[in-house]
Amino acid sequence: MMTGIQPRPVDAEGKIALTLRVNGREHRVRARPTHTILEVLRNEIGLTGPREGCGVGMCGACTVLVDGHLLSGCLLLAALAEGHEIVTIEGLEGPNGELHPIQEAYIAHTAFQCSYCTPGFILATKALLDENPDPSRDEAKEYLAGNLCRCGSYVKILDAVEDAAERVRGR
Amino acid sequence: MTDWGHRRTIEPRGFSGMIDAYERVTGRVTYAMDVALPGMLHGKLLRSPHAHARLVSVDASRARALPGVEAVLTGPDLAARDDVFPYFGPIFRDQAVLAIDKVRYVGDPVAAVAAVDLDTAQAALELIDVVYDELPPVYAVEEAFAAGSPIVHDEPPRLGPTYSDIIVHTEGGTNVCNHFKLRKGDVDRGFAEADHVFEDVFTSPPVQHVPLETHNCVATISDGVIDIVTASQMPFMTRAILAEVFRVPQSRVRVRIHTLGGGYGAKSVKIEPVTALLAQAARRPVRLHLTREEEFVTITKHGVRIVMTTGVMNDGRIVARKSTCLFNTGAYADIGPRLIKNGGFATGGPHHIPNVWVDSYAVYSNLPPAGAFRGYGVNQAAWAYETQMDMIAERLGWDPLAFRMRNLLEDGQTVMTGEPMFDAHFKELLGNAATWIGFDAAEPPARIGRKVRAKGLSCIVKATVTPSTSTAAAKLNEDGSLHVLSSAVEMGQGSDAVLSILAAEGLDMPIGQVSVSQPDTDVTPYDQGTSSSRNTYSMGTAVKMAVADIGQQLLDLAAEQLEVSQSDLEFVAGKVQPKGVPDKAILYGDLIRGSRSGNLLAHATFATEGGLDPETGQGIGSVHWHQAAGAAEVEVDLETGKVDVLRYHAGVYAGRIINPVLAELQTEGNVAFGIGQALFEEMVFDGGQLQNGNLADYMIASIKDLPDTVHCDVVEHLEANEIHGIGETSLPPVMPAIGNAVYRATGVRITDLPITPEKILRGLRARAGQEVRTP
Repeated sequence: MMTGIQPRPVDAEGKIALTLRVNGREHRVRARPTHTILEVLRNEIGLTGPREGCGVGMCGACTVLVDGHLLSGCLLLAALAEGHEIVTIEGLEGPNGELHPIQEAYIAHTAFQCSYCTPGFILATKALLDENPDPSRDEAKEYLAGNLCRCGSYVKILDAVEDAAERVRGR
Repeated sequence: MTDWGHRRTIEPRGFSGMIDAYERVTGRVTYAMDVALPGMLHGKLLRSPHAHARLVSVDASRARALPGVEAVLTGPDLAARDDVFPYFGPIFRDQAVLAIDKVRYVGDPVAAVAAVDLDTAQAALELIDVVYDELPPVYAVEEAFAAGSPIVHDEPPRLGPTYSDIIVHTEGGTNVCNHFKLRKGDVDRGFAEADHVFEDVFTSPPVQHVPLETHNCVATISDGVIDIVTASQMPFMTRAILAEVFRVPQSRVRVRIHTLGGGYGAKSVKIEPVTALLAQAARRPVRLHLTREEEFVTITKHGVRIVMTTGVMNDGRIVARKSTCLFNTGAYADIGPRLIKNGGFATGGPHHIPNVWVDSYAVYSNLPPAGAFRGYGVNQAAWAYETQMDMIAERLGWDPLAFRMRNLLEDGQTVMTGEPMFDAHFKELLGNAATWIGFDAAEPPARIGRKVRAKGLSCIVKATVTPSTSTAAAKLNEDGSLHVLSSAVEMGQGSDAVLSILAAEGLDMPIGQVSVSQPDTDVTPYDQGTSSSRNTYSMGTAVKMAVADIGQQLLDLAAEQLEVSQSDLEFVAGKVQPKGVPDKAILYGDLIRGSRSGNLLAHATFATEGGLDPETGQGIGSVHWHQAAGAAEVEVDLETGKVDVLRYHAGVYAGRIINPVLAELQTEGNVAFGIGQALFEEMVFDGGQLQNGNLADYMIASIKDLPDTVHCDVVEHLEANEIHGIGETSLPPVMPAIGNAVYRATGVRITDLPITPEKILRGLRARAGQEVRTP
């Protein structure tokens, strides 16, 4: 799905110019070719919803949607994200801060404790419901197994996913 | 960004959930790592590749010359300064901010760099030349405890100001940095009288807390004040340590805490001293944020070996128990010298045993430092005694449920620390657990194809730190809204919600009128720390006392303004009125404005009393006792050895539940946390080198490890009129409940955690071999 990167000038700090589409807006940033989309989202664009948990793509705390697909932001080089539509948790709300029904469901069930993992879980839930609007509990477990919650809010997360599916279908 | 409209409608009674839920689901909640300051530099630590070595020299000149590097610190440089005390630790000041004479584990920080970005800081680390002279290391706790072991700390550990419950018995010339002794009754006579005596050995490995947010902080020195925003559960310990390191009064140190991305005991004081020293050297703000790999070697749960001897009578009574506990506290003591006390006396269990003897040791080794971990030594203790309860029942042909019921503490019986038990609910909790899971000792394991199912039980007791102190302040503003100033740390447990509810209840006002501060040691009053499941009880009580003081001030004002005696007044929804006369009600804000007091101020201190005799471990071990039970149904695949937990019942005594959904979340969270420790969590070392210090190789429980049914039995007894913390209590039962169920399913008794498929298959093969040999 990723297009190849074109050679481009590197500045004194070793950075290149990138144009990234994040949450429906275009951002022109400078980053090193080694920088991940997670680093660029946090440090250059100022979005703190994606968070590093493990740095090796195992915990899901840095989850972003790239053209609707779930990806670990810690594994995707920012330069490779050019030309693709990136969505973070900050992109789920409506224009006036209205919550997405998945977010409403997570609140209704208090499906979080420290909530470090919550943006990743909510984006994973969105990808799940986009693919399968009426998942069984086992299908939801399978789909969400790539996101870790150390506080162990899993029971409430599954309740929230079931509720979110109903809310999304009801729209 | 805050949805004030949503918040304003919430009433305290019936409120359940988190106050800042909107921020949490939108990703906007602020952690320390989200704080970025102008000119901020990025710190990195150079760490030792050796487990035990003398530090011959550290040459950082090439790193200092690298463009973009603003500060480089080494241990010898710090040790040479008069304005710095280069050691820290919550009890002993045994950990150098950066290694001075020796390194003591693989990962011990040796030098620190602050640079304009992380890439430059990393490049600078590679330019620091360190010469080591390797020393013989020691890792296993039995070896470190034995005579002739390499000694990790050549000098006796330096005791500093610490918590009032700490008891220290240090043994010079050994690796024992503390020895806790408990002597209840006459254990030799107890064993002599016992009909049966059983000795068994139980081990628990080191595991890591794995908070998804790793240790991180941002330090600034401005106007002579050391100002740090950090992810810590212990704001005031952090302040005390920084004041010591910088040799300044505590009033020149400011510690601020945001909500944590998980703590579980990991976050005390670790990286704050070095970060503040970097900020001082660079004259710019510095952020240090550990990688996951660094987090693994910063703090761990104690690996423990327990030899437990228990004497029982033919009628099922336990009459004596002796435990020798070797806690591997790693290279630095951290809170280990206290944890071995709580973990040590916990081996007495929730049973009425007249004769108990405990020797519990904190032993240095060349592994990463071990410290506080959710359960605080009770996980390891309960793994031993609740496994042994089933082993004894099996050997004597008893029902393990009946054997437990015969011995569980009742009100008035003495606990292991000699004090009388009160508000005991062990039998209720275990009875509920057994009923829910359908425990029947006569029920054979259910065989389904190559899988086999069975059930197991456990019941535990846990102390909360005693004595301890929480203080709180409250301000009722001129519009009738309330500020609670508290140093309780919100780490996902819902402290802000719980304190808001208790404060709002006290003044009969909507919860949306209450704001609970985050800790800021310049502003919020002292708290001992957010640990030991103490916050709801201790800080909650301090908040209630402060709010009650405000209430009294309101009554004084209202009695004067309404010319009614105080006893004829009542609080109704943010107003004071003569009883039953809503027409005469006055809003809190109007009372304040009428009095020209500006605001009403109050503060309160809640301190519990207790403590143990240093020679006998007798006294008051806990202001009240935390109680829990567990029941697991497991399915074991006999071909692969894989264990699935099908159903789990978590019972815990709460006294009074303040926030039902958070009470459930904490309890369900303990089940997930415990399943990991029961079945797969273990830090694996090759010598001193950690082999699985990342989340690709170290597994924590995922959503698929969860049982299909988790049943929370959070028991409430309102007549006791007391709040029991529940943050940790339901965790220790998980591991033995699963272990006991695995044994009943397979006949394989595992005494060394975790219960891996390999161990089960080895056990099954050994049993098959025995059966073949049996004629």
